[in-house]
Formats: sequence, structure tokens, C-alpha cells
Amino acid sequence: MKHSHHLSGSLHLTGKSRFIADDAPLQGMLHAKFLFSPVAHAEIISLDVRAASAFPGVYKVIGATDITGENQIGHIIKDEPLFPEKTIMYAWQPLAMVLAEDEQVAEAAVKLIKLSYKELKPIFDPLEADSCEEWYVPERKIESGDVVSALSKAPYKLKGITSSSGQEHFYMEAQSCRAIPFEDNRIMLYSATQSTMEVQEVVSHLLGIPAHDIIVDVPRLGGAFGGKERAATIWACMAALGAYVCKRPVQVYLSRHEDMHATGKRHPFVSLWEVGFDDEGRISAYDIQLLANGGAYSDLSVAILERAMFHSDNIYHIPDIRIRGRACRTNLPPNTAFRGFGAPQGIFVIESILEDIARQLNLDPIAIRNANAYKNGSLAPYGQEIVECQIPEIFSALVNNAEYHKLKAEVADFNLANSRFKRGLGIMPVKFGISFTTALLNQGSALIWVYIDGSVSVSTGGVEMGQELSTKVAVVVSRVLGIPIDKIRVESSNTQRVGNASPTAASTGSDINGNAARIAAEKIRECLREPAAKLLEQKYNLAVSQEELVFSQATVYPVTNPEHSLSFAELIRFAYVERIPLAAYGYYRTPDLWFDRDKGNGRPFHYYVYGAALAEVELDCLLGEHSLRKLFIVHENGQSLHPDIDLGQITGAAIQCYGWCTMEDLQWDAKGNYISANPSTYKIPGIRDLPEVLKVDILASLSKEASVFGSKATGEPPFVYGLAVFFALQAAVRAANPDATLSFPATPEALLKGLKSV
Amino acid sequence: MKHNNEKLPAEELHNQITFYLNGQQIQEVLAPGISTLDWLHKQKHLHGTKCSCNEGDCGACTVVIAFRHNETIAYEAINSCLYPAAKLHGKHIITIEALGDTKNLHPIQQSLLEHHGTQCGYCTPGFVMSMFALFATFTHPNKETILSALEGNLCRCTGYQSILDAAQEIAENFIPDQLVPQWCREIEKQLLEFEESAAMVVKPKNAVGLVNRYLTPENLKVLFDYFAMEPDALFIAGGTDLMVQMNINRKEYPVLIDLTGIPELNKLYQQADCLHIGASVTYNQLYTCDFVSQGYPELHKLISQIASQQIRNFGTLCGNIANASPIGDSLPLLMVLDANLRLQSELEIRHVPIRDFFVAYRQTALHKGEIIREVILAPTPQNAYVKCIKSAKRKSVDISAVITAMRLEQDSGTITNAIFALGGVASTPIISKTFTSLMENKKLTSIDVNQVCHAVADEFAPLSDVRGSSEYRHTLIRNHLDLYLKEFLEVPR
Repeated sequence: MKHSHHLSGSLHLTGKSRFIADDAPLQGMLHAKFLFSPVAHAEIISLDVRAASAFPGVYKVIGATDITGENQIGHIIKDEPLFPEKTIMYAWQPLAMVLAEDEQVAEAAVKLIKLSYKELKPIFDPLEADSCEEWYVPERKIESGDVVSALSKAPYKLKGITSSSGQEHFYMEAQSCRAIPFEDNRIMLYSATQSTMEVQEVVSHLLGIPAHDIIVDVPRLGGAFGGKERAATIWACMAALGAYVCKRPVQVYLSRHEDMHATGKRHPFVSLWEVGFDDEGRISAYDIQLLANGGAYSDLSVAILERAMFHSDNIYHIPDIRIRGRACRTNLPPNTAFRGFGAPQGIFVIESILEDIARQLNLDPIAIRNANAYKNGSLAPYGQEIVECQIPEIFSALVNNAEYHKLKAEVADFNLANSRFKRGLGIMPVKFGISFTTALLNQGSALIWVYIDGSVSVSTGGVEMGQELSTKVAVVVSRVLGIPIDKIRVESSNTQRVGNASPTAASTGSDINGNAARIAAEKIRECLREPAAKLLEQKYNLAVSQEELVFSQATVYPVTNPEHSLSFAELIRFAYVERIPLAAYGYYRTPDLWFDRDKGNGRPFHYYVYGAALAEVELDCLLGEHSLRKLFIVHENGQSLHPDIDLGQITGAAIQCYGWCTMEDLQWDAKGNYISANPSTYKIPGIRDLPEVLKVDILASLSKEASVFGSKATGEPPFVYGLAVFFALQAAVRAANPDATLSFPATPEALLKGLKSV
Repeated sequence: MKHNNEKLPAEELHNQITFYLNGQQIQEVLAPGISTLDWLHKQKHLHGTKCSCNEGDCGACTVVIAFRHNETIAYEAINSCLYPAAKLHGKHIITIEALGDTKNLHPIQQSLLEHHGTQCGYCTPGFVMSMFALFATFTHPNKETILSALEGNLCRCTGYQSILDAAQEIAENFIPDQLVPQWCREIEKQLLEFEESAAMVVKPKNAVGLVNRYLTPENLKVLFDYFAMEPDALFIAGGTDLMVQMNINRKEYPVLIDLTGIPELNKLYQQADCLHIGASVTYNQLYTCDFVSQGYPELHKLISQIASQQIRNFGTLCGNIANASPIGDSLPLLMVLDANLRLQSELEIRHVPIRDFFVAYRQTALHKGEIIREVILAPTPQNAYVKCIKSAKRKSVDISAVITAMRLEQDSGTITNAIFALGGVASTPIISKTFTSLMENKKLTSIDVNQVCHAVADEFAPLSDVRGSSEYRHTLIRNHLDLYLKEFLEVPR
């Protein structure tokens, strides 16, 4: 079967697709430029905007006193002001906004704002924050069995500290929002957000006007990866406030370096752990404390910490386990959602430990992983039963595809024969829980109109950001109504068409919105049965039962009598005349989800996605450079709605993670300013970083747990595959220096350091 | 930002230039110093070309320029964010808006569509344009050529495999004549015959801008006349660094004088065995020049590791020298190649060896009003060992942490010439004194590689910065040396 193209593909390829910042300027539109804080932590003594306000061409300088509602943009925890009034909490925190028709005028005026402040001691290290009990919420805990006594009984023990670093999203389109005032003090927001509901709710609170006076529309995003789930809100608030106060359109569009300085990243984590195991490498006890470096405000840090905790076991069944987590407040820009949402950080720790145990006991890295893996019927630490574990099949496919045993022998031979170059293999399995762990977010809506000519308009709360959610939603509607994709338009996400939409996040986009669209389309289809039967009777003089009608290939026909068919368009026109509703609202909530935070127990996930990767690298031990020779991925995802799209998600995610763990080197100075805040110092993978051989094998499965039409989520689970490269590099380093540890990320500098260390 | 500064003129000098935009001849009056990208967005409201980083590192803003070069027409991809629009005079700029239509995709676009080579779509126009320049220039390019052409385009969604697959399919199935549209070919004749000169228009200064006049002399006489009028002017060649200073650091350059419209400065020729590289010769011109690939293979190889194809298409070697960055990629190699700089001012021509050119951090031996007219490279003796190693975080399009070059010559087992030049370890590109003194006049058999490596590394106290710690840079110095020396000593003598 030939799969459909990207719904926006031809538009993207001809430069005709619409992104928010690309619209022509409106008459009288004001551009926003910001005064950003030069320091990470300070008390504001004064902020004098008089000279800036008087600068020719400046329309207005906006600050905290212009806020008509509450100066509060925190969503889950209310701890974040739009503009700080007393205390600056992070470097590049926006302190004031200058509005002018001419961008350069606004920029010049920003320089005239006089800020005086008294510096306070900043904290950037989560360990330091932890020791000061700088937590947004008290410690969270998930526990099963008795880890203390299991550790004391374990034949072998290891303990350590494992760190992973942050990651800049580097979505290609920077943060942006255009706010347009219209009648009766209402505001239209074109926001580059993954969450129309959050923007609407927070802006409503900030301005002190009801949600129905704020319309949020998202045509599409130029990439997001979590970086526009929560982090887009502040910029939408800025634009909304400016437009509300000035009664003029306002455009906020950050430059790349503003975006990289001022916005939060993936959370760096530090984890303290102790593990007990036997001589076959079976882990009996695991005690881990995860510290998330959350930045200045809570943002999504607590939920991210929880997902890290939920994934601390990865694919392994550990009978006695205690997982504790603390999200720590520091003076970095508020760290936020990023593909994987904490899971990669949690998974990285246990996989590092597996590597260390395998090395200590001289066990094969796949064998030790298989030996510890979950089996059907076992319980995750939070009590959810594992019912469709795919791990053995996945490892066996991976071993076959990679010719693992042969490859392993080749690597060993190569390493014996070479000293300057060393090769290494790395393994990275995953079990990724699908659902928002905040259960209430697992709901979604869709609105479908069938127009009189049979063409269809579908709106969901989902945001298109390159993951091709629109294409998948169109596939779903196309299957239900039996019409070709090109008869279906998937619209922008808009609060007037679909309100109260959960963020398009947690990989749930197609599960939730696809199901909502399916339900809406099914309602329409069911309503069409009666007029269809009637029209068939009129047209062919056939007696047809409604139940036997088939909707397929833009026609409707009785299953027993396919040659007597109606065209979909003809049926719609007839249905309209018959006064049949040609629109429907679909609502979906993910079934059977619950989680008790206090007890650390429940069923937080609808299902899991399983997979594994194997990487082979060659390391130049003199220069610290490596080549990624091979990357094999085996990924299970039910009955894919669109294998080409899923392939793109898997590859893109794996390469993004490869960047995270090898070259994306986030650094800040003593004042908390990111110094790797442009693409000349912060390197994401380029085309030359592709593996020489990349093989992705999508394993179809007949999962009963899977979601819409048997498909599974694909956005985040494949991210961690890139970590296989980290472990391959660590193996290569250890081929030269057996006791080396490799720090994260594995830059050439880190690799050379690892090679030297004893 | 300064304003109401009495030193600055109360009017601005705008460039009035004639060129072709997507098949149509146009005449435009440009704000001084405006980038091609800003011009497309702000003046033409053409938003198909995207802005993502505004400093030439992501390729989202890639457009193609067609222009006359050696009596043929070259199609080259450039970063429009760094390309001063005034340079478009007499050229044809092709943007994504013209290359195909949704109902009638160009074969490159069709192939990307089939391979799902676009996800969020923001980088896509840039990739299409880079591929257009590639396939307009090369017939059946190999994978390496494709990677070179696309290494300057970042994509955060796809992981590139689908894009590479699409490109390889085009490489296999199409030739340039099937991919360059007829309307482009029609402009080619006009580009070959183009004679019109650029003009200047005086306008009252009414905005805060970084540049007040952007002067584009057509010959050296005019160049120095301009300089006499504007003694504080700065010279600009490719502009790939100056434009970053403007776009990101918002640095003001009240007067810029562009060297690239002066034919005398674009000469690349061999004379008396020496290679002469003019001020406005681009990296790409060098890369494709047989004299370079045959006479200076290390330089040829190094150029492929400098920046991206888009930057190499208008960045210049002389600009890299004049910019005098301590991590300027070309500088250590030019030092070991003993490059000689021919400097020219209105009244004088003088020669300065590149080794004496860098006097302090970003300060050079250039006098006020002096330009690097050309770089002169003497031939390297047949038996000379010349090598250059660049160490950076990413394989391509990265700035080095440390870059070094070495030259060793020996006669009957005795070292006669030993130069080790380094970038990224001091405030200027620098030649190791220790290395030369430890190596020269030594017997090959008496060289203790380990001792040399440590002694030379100890000569330097590199800084720690975002590209690497001091210790890392030290290690690299030692390891580069180790690599060179072991390779040299094992070369059959």
C-alpha cells in the first residue's frame, strides 16, 4: 500500500507553508524587544524606563505595573511572574518589554532602560540546591519491596553518581506569538505553542478577562520537541499583554540567540544510586535518588521528575526497588519539557549501571539485559502489570539484524590489532510508558464538518509541529469515512473549534486526537447510514439494511452488493437535503488510568512501547573524534498508521539523542548566562553525523493495548536509541582504558579525558 | 546603540542596484548594509526563505545566486542572512518561491516529498535551495559531494536520512539540464552581457541602523578615493564574519567598502611558480582550482573543512587573514606554507610574511587604508611534509578548539626546516619556537617524539572557553604533534 505524503509536504517544499512569524506585518503592528536580566539572581532596586519611553518611535514600555490581572504565569504551581517585581531569578529573565513599530527603534530603546540591582548568590548545581532543600514540592517516592534489606543481602554491590546534561531544543522556528486585538476587548493570539489551552488559561488570568475572550490559533510549529509546551506561554503572554494594553497588534519573535539564552532546556539530572546483584548479573535491589535541575520556576519539572522516576527501571524487573526524586530550584532559566520528558535521564542511569555490572562480571551486554528484563505478569515498581512485553523478540531481531555475535568478535579483533583506533558496541533497549502521567490530561476532542460537496474539515486540539499529526488524523478520518486523504483538510488548532485541549505532548498526539477524530467521524458515518440506505433504495430499488453498508473508496455500498454504490459526495448532498447532521464532535479519554502520588502506586500508562538499538563506533584515541559506523534499531509499534512517518520519527529522535549525548554541550558562566547560546558554539547533529549504516526495523505487533486502529505512539520512545552511541563510545574508551568512566556528553574532550583517566 | 552622533552623516547612502529576482530584472534601492534575507523579508515580503539563526550556521535562509564567472554561469548556494544585498548587483537570485509550485513540484521537491524529507518544514526551503545549487553544478554527484553541499543545512526533525536518500535519488536520475528551469537559462545570457554599473542614492537618515553607507567600488582607484573620503571605513570582502557581528552583536559599522566588485581583486593565478590568491577569491574558487588541489593538497583538504558550502561560496581566504581570529581556520597552514601577503594602499604596495602579520589579539600589521591585495604562496618542495589537523566538537561546520599545521623538511636524515603553527592556543595564530629549536638541524634518528610533544605543549597556556578547556587544548597540541611526528618519521626516506 502506498502511504500518503506529508499533508503539508508540498507547501513546505515550495516555501508556501505558513508559520506565525512569516505573516506580513499588519498596519500599526508593534514589535516587542526585551530587557533581559544580566544576572541570574538579584534583588531589583529600580527599573527606570523613562528614557526608553521617551525615545522617538517607542509606543510604550511595558512592565509588571501594566498587567491588568495577576502577574502570574505559573500553570500547575503558581510560582512564576511574567515580569519579576522584586527578585530576578535567572539570567536573561525578561524584565521589561519595549514596543515600537520599528524593530530597531525598540532595540535601541531597550538599551536606555536603567536597571539597578543587588546581586544575590545564585545556585546552578542541583546538589547544592538539594542540600538547601530548594524543592518545588516535597520528595516523591515510588517503592516496591524492601530495598535496604535486599541491598544488605546482595552478593555484589555498586554505588555511584551518574549525571546527564541539559539539551537545547533548537527547534528551527524560534519562539513567537502575534496578538491582534479586536472588538469588545477580545484578543486573537497566533501562538507558536503546543498547548492552546494553557496559553488561553494563563493569558486569561494575566489579563483578568474570561477565557472566551482569548482565541488561540496555531497554524503549525517549526519544530517544538517539548520546547513550546510550556515555554511558549511566556511569549504568548507578552504579546497578549502588549496588544491588550496598546490596542495594537503586537509581534513577539525571539532571535535565535535570545531564544537560546532565555528559554529553558532539557533538565540536567544528577542521580545517586546503589545497586545489589548476584554473580549472574541479576539485579535484586536498586536504590536511586534522582535530582532534577529545574531552573528558576517549577514549570513542568515535577512531572518531568516523575516520568524520570517511572522510567528508572527501564526494561528491568527489580524486585526490591526504591526510587526517590527531588526537583530542585536553581537559577537557570526554567527547564522544561523535551522529548522523553525525563525518561531518558532516568533510563540513562540504569543502563549505565548495567554496563558497569556487565564489565565487572564480564557478561555479554545483551545477555545481562535479557536476564533482567520484565516478563509478562511482572509488576512495575508502581504496581502496573506488564502484559505485552516484547523484549525477547526485540533483542532477537536486533541480534539477527546486526549479526551481533560476528560483529562483537570483529570489534574484539580490531581492538587487539589497533592502538590508535578502538571500536565499541553499545546497546540501548527501551520500555516507554504512554500517557500523560497527570491522568486528567489524557482527554481530547475533535470537530469534523462534512461540507455539501463531500469535502471534509477536521479540527482537533492537536498541534502540527512536524510530527505529521495532521497526516495521521487524516488517515484515521479517511479510514472511517472511506474517502481519500485529499478530500480531508486538517485545520489549525484553534480554541474556538476545539477548546480545553491538552498539550500535544507525551507522544499522545495521535492516540488522543486520532481517537477523538475517529469517534467524531464514526458519529457522522452512523448518521449517514439512514440516508444512504434510502438513497440506494431510490436509486437502485434495493432494500438495504443500514448495518451492511460499507464506506470505502469514496463510495458507499451494501457489503453484499458492491456494484450498487453511491458516491460519497452524492450521499452527502442527499443527506443535507434530508436534514441529517453533517458535523460531529468527538471526545476521547484514555481508559483505565490512575495514579496515587502519595502511595507511588497505580496504573499511569495506557501501554508501553518497546524497542532496542545497537551502535558501533570507531574512536580515534589521539583526537577524541569518532565515527558512527552502524546504528541498528528495532522498534515495536503495533499497527502503524503510517510507517513512513514513524520511520521519520524514529530516525529523527535517535539522531537528536545522539546529539544530546555526544556533541550538544550546554555551558553557562558564573553569572548563569548560557555561553553556548548560538549554533556556532552549540552543535546539533548535521548531515555528516548520520551513521554510515542505519537500519531501522519497525516490528508490527498485534498489541491489544495499542491505541487508534492498533497503532502506538512514536514521538518520544525512540529518542533513547541515541544513547546506544554513548555506551558504544564508553566501550571503545574502555577497550583502551578498562576502568575509564566517560562523562556526559561524550565530546572529543570528554573522550580524551576518559582515555587518560585511570 | 549610538544615535544623534554628530560624527555620522545626517543622510544615508543607499545602494541602487540592478539584478534579477526569480527570473525578473529589477532595480532596487537598498538600505545600506541590509542583508539579502532582511531585504527578502522586509522589502519584498518573501517569507519562503526562513530565518532561524541569522549567523550562517543553520542554512534555513539558503538561496541560490547565479552569476558570471570565467565566462560561464555559476549557481551557488549562499546564506542570505550573511550576504549583503548590495552584492546582488548583476546577479540572479533564485529563491524557493520560484522553484516549483505545489501542483507542479520541481524534481528535487518531488523526491523530498516521496522520501518524507520534510517534517516541520522550517529548514526545508533551505535544503531545497542547497540541493538546487548542487544539482545545477554537478552531474551525478557522489555521496561526499552531496554531504558537502548539505552540511550547512541543519534539520532538527528528520535525522537527515530521508533527505540524503532523496538527494541520492536525484543524483542518480537527473542531470543539470533537467533541473535548471528554462527561465533560469534565459537569464544566463543577460548575466553574461550585464554591464550596468551600480549607483548610489542619498536619502535622509530616518532610522536607527548599523550602517550608514555601503560603498561598492568597481576598481582600485575608486576604492582608494572612497577611502580618502571615508577614512574610518572598514573594508568588507565576503562579510561572513562582519555580518555576524552586525546580526548578532548589533555592532555598528558606519561605513563599509566592499572589495568584491573589483575585478583586479578576484584574480587567482600562478606566476613564477607562485600561487597568487586575490582579496576576493572565495574558498570555493580555491577549492575548485587545480593549482590548489595539485600544488597544495593540504590547503585543498582544509578548505573542505572550513565552514559550510554556503559560506565557502562567498567567504574569502584574505578575509579570514584580515579578520585575524586566533582560531582562523586557514591561518596555521598558511603560516607553515610561508604565505606572503601583498598589501596595498593608495600609494604603496608592500609585502609582509604572514608570520609577521598578526601582532596582537585581532590586530594585524595592516595600516589604515591598506588592504590585503593578495596572498602569495611559494611552491612547497617535493619532499616537504605538510599537514594540518582541525579539532572541533562536530565533524563539519564547526569552529576549531585547536587547529595546527606542520611543515618538516629533511636532507640526508637531518631536519632542515621545522615549523609548527597553532590556532586556538594563544591570542593570535602562533608558531612554536620550542618546536623549531628542538627539531632543526637534528638527526631524524635522535628525535624523542614524546619529549618534543611535551616540551612544545608546555610552551603554551591556552585559555579555557566554550570550545574546550585549557587541559583539553594542551592534550590536543601534544596529540597533534604525536600524530605528525610519527607519521613523518615512518615515511620511507
